[in-house]
Amino acid sequence: MPLTRRQFLTLTGGSAAAAVIFQACGVPEDELKVQAPIGMPEDIVTGLQNWYATTCRWCPTGEGIVVKVMEGRAKKVEGNVDHPINRGTHSARCEAGLQALYHPDRIRGPLVRSGERGSGRFEEISWTDAIGRLTLQLRRLSDSGDQSALAMVTEPLAGHTGMVAERFLARYGGRRVSYEPLERTVLRSVVKRVFDQDVMPDLDVERAAYVLSFGADWLNTWISPVRYSRGYGEFRQGDRKRGTFVHADSRFSMTAANADRWLHVEPGSEGVLALSIAQVIVSEGLGNSAAADELTDGGYIDLDAFAPERVASKISTAVPSDRMADDIRQVARGFAEHRPSLAFGGGSAAAHTNGLFNMAAIYSLNYLVDSVDRPGGIVFNPRPPLQDVPASQTTTPFSTWQSLISEMNRERVKVMMVRGADPFYGLPDSAGFRAASFKVPYIFSFSGTMDDTTAMSDLVLPELDPLETWDTDIPDPGPGYQMVSFQQPVVRPFFEERGRHLGARGFGDVLMTIAQDLNVDLGLPGETFREVLQDGARRLFNLRRGSVSAPDFRSFWNGVLQRGGWWDVGAVSTDSVPSRAPSLPTPTDPVFDGDPDSHPMHLIPFASASLTDGRGAALPWLQATPDPTSTATWRTWVEINASVADDMGIREGDVVRITSAHGSMEALAFPNPATPFKVVAVPVGQGHRAGGRYARNRGSNVLSILGPGSDSETGALAWAATRVKIEKTGDWMRLPKFENAVSEEPRDEHHEIIKITPVDSGGVH
Amino acid sequence: MGEKSWGMVIDVDKCTGCQACVVACQSENNIPINEEEHFNQRRAIEWIRVERYWEGEFPDVKARFIPILCQHCGEAPCEPVCPVFATYHNDQGLNVQVYNRCVGTRFCANNCPYHVRFFNFWEPEWPETLTNQLNPDVTVRSRGIMEKCTFCVQRIRRTERESERDGVDLDDGDRALSPACVNACPTSALVFGDFADPESKVSRLKEQEEKEDGRAYRLLENYGTEPSVVYLKKVEEGAKSASHG
Repeated sequence: MPLTRRQFLTLTGGSAAAAVIFQACGVPEDELKVQAPIGMPEDIVTGLQNWYATTCRWCPTGEGIVVKVMEGRAKKVEGNVDHPINRGTHSARCEAGLQALYHPDRIRGPLVRSGERGSGRFEEISWTDAIGRLTLQLRRLSDSGDQSALAMVTEPLAGHTGMVAERFLARYGGRRVSYEPLERTVLRSVVKRVFDQDVMPDLDVERAAYVLSFGADWLNTWISPVRYSRGYGEFRQGDRKRGTFVHADSRFSMTAANADRWLHVEPGSEGVLALSIAQVIVSEGLGNSAAADELTDGGYIDLDAFAPERVASKISTAVPSDRMADDIRQVARGFAEHRPSLAFGGGSAAAHTNGLFNMAAIYSLNYLVDSVDRPGGIVFNPRPPLQDVPASQTTTPFSTWQSLISEMNRERVKVMMVRGADPFYGLPDSAGFRAASFKVPYIFSFSGTMDDTTAMSDLVLPELDPLETWDTDIPDPGPGYQMVSFQQPVVRPFFEERGRHLGARGFGDVLMTIAQDLNVDLGLPGETFREVLQDGARRLFNLRRGSVSAPDFRSFWNGVLQRGGWWDVGAVSTDSVPSRAPSLPTPTDPVFDGDPDSHPMHLIPFASASLTDGRGAALPWLQATPDPTSTATWRTWVEINASVADDMGIREGDVVRITSAHGSMEALAFPNPATPFKVVAVPVGQGHRAGGRYARNRGSNVLSILGPGSDSETGALAWAATRVKIEKTGDWMRLPKFENAVSEEPRDEHHEIIKITPVDSGGVH
Repeated sequence: MGEKSWGMVIDVDKCTGCQACVVACQSENNIPINEEEHFNQRRAIEWIRVERYWEGEFPDVKARFIPILCQHCGEAPCEPVCPVFATYHNDQGLNVQVYNRCVGTRFCANNCPYHVRFFNFWEPEWPETLTNQLNPDVTVRSRGIMEKCTFCVQRIRRTERESERDGVDLDDGDRALSPACVNACPTSALVFGDFADPESKVSRLKEQEEKEDGRAYRLLENYGTEPSVVYLKKVEEGAKSASHG
């Protein structure tokens, strides 16, 4: 009932009437008194809050979160203290998931394209119509026995969504390609090759005494940053002696900034550095001699060619060779003597044409210091507890994408279904995906936001936000024991009021509906996605072990949802350490894309702390989160060494054109003292053609200018192997950054607040 | 309820500069969206911020991170200059900002050596749907008002009320009471608690680190502001004496 001010005053005039109204509103009377101007508004707290446990979908690894819900609206995200991955802490990205839920540009119902493809013109249709259109195309394919012309493009899927998608493709036909712009293909291969493991092991930073990492920005964006950060806190100031941390990288990342020592390495020479470290350990007899013997094939592999003095100039051209050699010796001795020690790598170290060699050399170091499957070292993870519910599967290497694109060009792909992936944004232009997409008759997108791929699609079936829907996740890497993280709706769907024909739906449910319409039996244990999930929980219940013990399934189910998942600290990996350490890889030199004379600088893209691979760009909190080292926000910047920039006459904010052999982009210069001389580093994440009001046409996309080189063995994109040239465009734009927002206090070396001198006290009148 | 003296211990040796605290604070405290222009005008609002300092040049370069928030000073320079008593010290050691009283002279910001007070130069605006996220326990500050870190007083109050209602004592380290930044911190670099309680974690850390060879220091302590935030120095590997930040 609308109430005018006069009516309100009339009603509240009599206390009896007031009591009636207040009672009707359900708010205690004393909470509605006129507020005194001396009171702190925060002293008055109204309303009840409920916290629901679920799983965050904004970080690379499923972290457990609890969400505060008041009056049906999600208000705050915090870490779930019970959850083995993050134990109560969380990242900026988890927090910002709330803004995705209430994003003003969320897609409110199914859309069909009404203009040219890519024109951005869509019309709303009903879900019945949308699903009808999708099944019509799929039925056409199956009628002509051409199911293999279906390509399902997704993010790496885990948990029950992964299971349903797999089942759909297995029963209907078609192929799945998973999209991960800064792919982990090499990492997975190396884990298999060096440790004979199918699942990513846990890196036990927490209990290590010495950590030696290569390339991976593991405190910031790599694999499982919150878990590693939690371990890092303990590693630094925990119950044990403070650990030592050395980071080797071709760029000065946030992780490098936190290392006790940053070793500069030329791009692609991380593996050589690792072999050099191995040489010191082996020649000085500091490591496990049996492992040394195995790694060198009984001395067959001559490590002496990698003695620090012989390779120092190759590892870094910027650091004097004798100093570099000393540094390598020191690090090798520290690593061998301070045990448990742990060596790992990833990120740009893996993203070269010799990525697999680099990574194999790095991870092999763990054998020398007995850190394989040991606390404080590499801890093997067990296989997931439910056989058909996967941890995220092997990612699709770039070479597979290339063959997909060539099939698209040959019109062999007729229907593309895209979920949680943005290949129009994340694949290099040189791959030719955009041009090839016009040969695909139907692109269906399941995205809840109008990202670059959705804008290029023909039909949009908006997905529910992760905070509105069911799912599970098997964190990969896991915590060292079996676990399933549960995701439950913490609020009712935001567009529920639009009725069942509009609004958003869960991906799993839509797939199941489509299968039903196509008469494809998925053989799933339930009619809805929730029932399938519940069946998974029932199977966990039947294991009769783990974190939730209950007399019956109903209590078990409630327990699992309350705690955010199921885990069994006793269910550790039963795999033993490989009986023999595999021999060290044969060194290969990196090959770079672009001629060194015309393209003298080395381009290192890096995942932005907040936007990661670009998926956070739509969220204003993440756009406004300062990058840890540059403090830049909202734009694309390029990190250039300050003295190099000086020589080129480049100031901060100068618009710089970065040109590779495959295209060019512009970014705002950020000269800093830490970037190596021949490197330019550019964050990934901006430069979206669509993506809503906060992402669209903002900054530029560094992925677009990458060369198509790939790791020779795995086919993974060598995204750190492109050479570029840089030049000033003559334009200037202020770089929005946090640094200098606060002026520095005047320095007072003598700790005197006001210095009184005879001149001061005498006064000058 | 006994005497309280809320405060924080920040271990700079654990801080990685990840900014989780910054976003957690923005979410909890209805901080307006810091748009690009706000950064360009140096008017972005971050109740807690992470400062980054360079040391040296490539290849001998280091970057240091230090989170900075309102120090809730015992002798707060912002308090005596407020003509309308909008900022005052409460009996729990909090430096409090009463938005209802504030007339926006900005004297307090001018007098704060830590630069942790922020002025609302604009009426805060959110697209309509994003307002659903706003925390009902926290006032949205209008244009012309000063604001700053409150140590998430709304969480303290709520927890106090609830513990009073349930007849239980407040727990040291209770997450419901801890500020949003503390709960978020992935490395647990931030610890919140009651300095009046000698058994609390913050008191024990402070006592332990204020001994000789300890790492405790306070920001600009020579000003005599008596901050309620104790910092623990970064440890420099190989260096005899650790440097600040």
